[in-house]
Amino acid sequence: MSQKAIAGPAGTPPKRRRRRRRPGIGRFVFLGAFLIFVLGPLYWMFITSIKPSDDYLAVPPVWFPSHPTLVHYIAALFAYRGLQGIANSLIVSISATALSAFVGTLMAYSFARFETGGKHLSFWVLSQRFLPPIAIVLPVFLIYRTVGLHDTRFGLVIAYTVFTLPVTVWMMFAYFKGVPRSMEDAALVDGCTRWEAFWRVAVPLAAPGIIAAAVFAFIACWTEFFFALVLTSRNAFTLPTVFRAFLGFQGAQYGEASALAVVSLAPSIALGVLAQRHLVRGLTLGAVRG
Amino acid sequence: MSRVAEVRRREAGLMAGFSTAISLWSDRHFKWLLVAPGIGLILALSVYPLLFSFWVNFVNYDFQIPGHAFVGLKNFSQVVFDPVARWSLALTVMLSAANVTIEFALGLGLALAMVRPFPGRGLVMSILIIPLFISPVIVGQAWALLLQRPFGPTNYLLGQLLRREVTIGWLSESPWVYFALILSDVWQWTPFMFVILLAGLTSIPPNLYEASELDGIGGWLAFRLITLPLLAPMITLAITFRLLDAIRLFDTIFIMTAGGPGTKTYTSSFYLYTVGFTQFHLSQATAGSWILLVLTAALVSFLVRHLLKAETV
Amino acid sequence: MADVRIRGLHKRFGGFHAVRGIDLDIADGDFTVLVGPSGCGKSTLLRTIAGLEDISEGEIFIGDEIVNDMRPRDRDVAMVFQDYALYPHMTVEKNIGFGLRARKMARSEIDDRVNRASAMLGIAQLYGRFPRQLSGGQRQRVAIGRAIVREPRIFLFDEPLSNLDAQLRDEMRWEIKRLHREISTTMIYVTHDQIEAMTLADRIVLMREGRIEQVGTPAELFERPISRFVAGFLGSPKMSFLPGRVVGSEGVAAIAIDGAAFPLPLPTAHAARVSTAGARVLLGLRPEHIVRAQGASPGEGMIRLDARVELLQPTGSRTFATFRIGSASALAELQAHDVSNPGETIQLDANLNRASLFDAETELALLS
Repeated sequence: MSQKAIAGPAGTPPKRRRRRRRPGIGRFVFLGAFLIFVLGPLYWMFITSIKPSDDYLAVPPVWFPSHPTLVHYIAALFAYRGLQGIANSLIVSISATALSAFVGTLMAYSFARFETGGKHLSFWVLSQRFLPPIAIVLPVFLIYRTVGLHDTRFGLVIAYTVFTLPVTVWMMFAYFKGVPRSMEDAALVDGCTRWEAFWRVAVPLAAPGIIAAAVFAFIACWTEFFFALVLTSRNAFTLPTVFRAFLGFQGAQYGEASALAVVSLAPSIALGVLAQRHLVRGLTLGAVRG
Repeated sequence: MSRVAEVRRREAGLMAGFSTAISLWSDRHFKWLLVAPGIGLILALSVYPLLFSFWVNFVNYDFQIPGHAFVGLKNFSQVVFDPVARWSLALTVMLSAANVTIEFALGLGLALAMVRPFPGRGLVMSILIIPLFISPVIVGQAWALLLQRPFGPTNYLLGQLLRREVTIGWLSESPWVYFALILSDVWQWTPFMFVILLAGLTSIPPNLYEASELDGIGGWLAFRLITLPLLAPMITLAITFRLLDAIRLFDTIFIMTAGGPGTKTYTSSFYLYTVGFTQFHLSQATAGSWILLVLTAALVSFLVRHLLKAETV
Repeated sequence: MADVRIRGLHKRFGGFHAVRGIDLDIADGDFTVLVGPSGCGKSTLLRTIAGLEDISEGEIFIGDEIVNDMRPRDRDVAMVFQDYALYPHMTVEKNIGFGLRARKMARSEIDDRVNRASAMLGIAQLYGRFPRQLSGGQRQRVAIGRAIVREPRIFLFDEPLSNLDAQLRDEMRWEIKRLHREISTTMIYVTHDQIEAMTLADRIVLMREGRIEQVGTPAELFERPISRFVAGFLGSPKMSFLPGRVVGSEGVAAIAIDGAAFPLPLPTAHAARVSTAGARVLLGLRPEHIVRAQGASPGEGMIRLDARVELLQPTGSRTFATFRIGSASALAELQAHDVSNPGETIQLDANLNRASLFDAETELALLS
């Protein structure tokens, strides 16, 4: 396959004298610059988390500390209750993900196989994704205060379930559409009820899709800030809300903030990179196959 | 034949009449039973709260003052006549437009750069998508660290570059705050555009370019006549989704500038949050959020209709 | 085992009327083939019998029961699908026994039936494998095995051989025919391939655009088609259709083919049935009824033609020659070693005793 065949019109203009187009250096310069742009802040944050506090006041800035320390991690996890935030985040995210994946898969199957509720119902579910969070979280806060769900993990779990439901439904909808019905038909004729055909044939077949949807739901819950900010307080606070404590920094907190950030980043980045095959489907609500 | 009848008789005997009835009923209503839990959840945590807040719009909801007195349109007028509210709306629009435009341009460039395979492409891909999985709060935190004054690396590096001292208050001075916010948003969400546009580019069959090469069309012309039109649905999709997320900007504002200096970096969401949760003017905040909701709904229906049209073309 | 009766069946998908009023009786133990071009509704009809589609109007009886509202699992039918529909996450053995486990049959009984079916189909050695490890032919056997173990009263086949290559298809055709001889259960088989229909069926149901065009044994449909559509659908290569008019005086009818030099006289037996002089008709002749001239003069009811060969299509065992009668093209069947060349003029004998005659307007047969 000649090089000029694929997506010819990238960055560089064709050199008129030559018959073949060389891959332009321009593209690699651009990519390289962007990679530095992406990695720079992450590197700086990591470095900050292991610098001893004195280094913060250094001019020029310390690019790599001579005496790295874990002091900030310990402070962040314990003094600032980062560990409790992680625990709450884990519990809430896993619960909400499981619930969302289950309810979402059920709903997606119904949409994919039976076109339940026609275009209107499915559009309504999809459009939930685009509601401004402030419009929802305000009344939910008031309601939770009234019924005693404020600052509970349970309250946050069901809020997150509804919050991640549209994406789960739409990813699974696209997935089910791609699975041929004949195996479910065979199961129906063989002796299954509709539920059995769904649960024993369709769901195992859809397992990769369910896992991908679950990964993205988890990441969404793990990184969510606004709902957690409003709906939790001293007991059920999640990891992103712990960063509130570092506001208005007075120097001493840079390390703790960075340390906690590094701890928070690791799982979601790892999961995201692993699931990147399904990324496009997740980002576009399944409108496009990944 | 008798064996079949035997089995069936045995089956009929085994199944209690009641459980058969349930089984038949659930088969018949299967599709509705499947969507019921989801609909129930959405009704409980989306529809009901919205209806409730609609009522709150017209009363004076206060935890201290008992009884919720009906106040007509007062809450709305308080929002509409608040200059901060109007500024926050304008800022939201401007920031969203700037963010989405820059992200689109950079994302397209990245997609074009990445569409051809090269050694290490997989690794580059994995690195490029990292920002998408980071909490926006942490993104804000990271950029705050970079941009801080006086000990941040940004000012230092700029100073080295320009050979004079640079003391820009990225997080405390206008207009530098806007750059800071745009920078952090672009950092996080350009990969979003990139991923979608790349998917669009790779789905264009290469033989279209081969055919056009034979016809003598290459380079910029092929980009304009082949790539762009075929990419158009993806472009619309990417911009629609990104825009609808961009207008909610809150987390990075909270961490980086807390709305400052003064109220210069109040986006609509942040403004309403402040009104509702720091000033506890709950009814006013609710009224404001309903206005935002209506505006968003209008934008959504416009974009989605446009998007659907683009997809069917 | 059971018979199937269908009365006034209609199926609509929204605005699309897929099945338009079917009345059909399928006898107990018969091998019935539903055949027709794509979109004629044969698969839809099969699926309504299975219960996988609801019907818009009409009734379906299996045995003596009306099954309209019965779930597929309660109808005691088994189905073999075009894409085999094997459960990818189960082994061959589990695949075959799935239906029996779903009905909570005793383990020993399940094993017994699975072993017998596997022996019958020669797939016992595949038990531990997964569908993705099997060839197309093996998968199809497993799919058939899954149907057999159910010991249903009706077998349904939805184009089961369409995904197999030609050679495998021939092989599996014989297998299925043999299967029917062995277990003699009612079988309803859908295909678009007229060869499958002709070789497998006790009775053929030829469908077009949601309606039944003709029902009968393969011989009946082949030799006495009731319409041009049936005549053209069965038989390969297709029957040649020559447009023309009825000419001639009382009792001595001939067909003047458009553009031909002289009319073709109909044999007396046929002539008696054709009444209206001047009526526009289509004369149908199958290639095997137009052969190289033999003997000094053509036989009774046959006519000798001088034909200029336009195209030759050798198939190994026979060669087909395209030539013109008047303004129409026709196909003659020659011996494989016939030394004709394109452009040559040869002598052919057309056997008008076996000709079909269709009204040019209604396309219905005038002779039968």
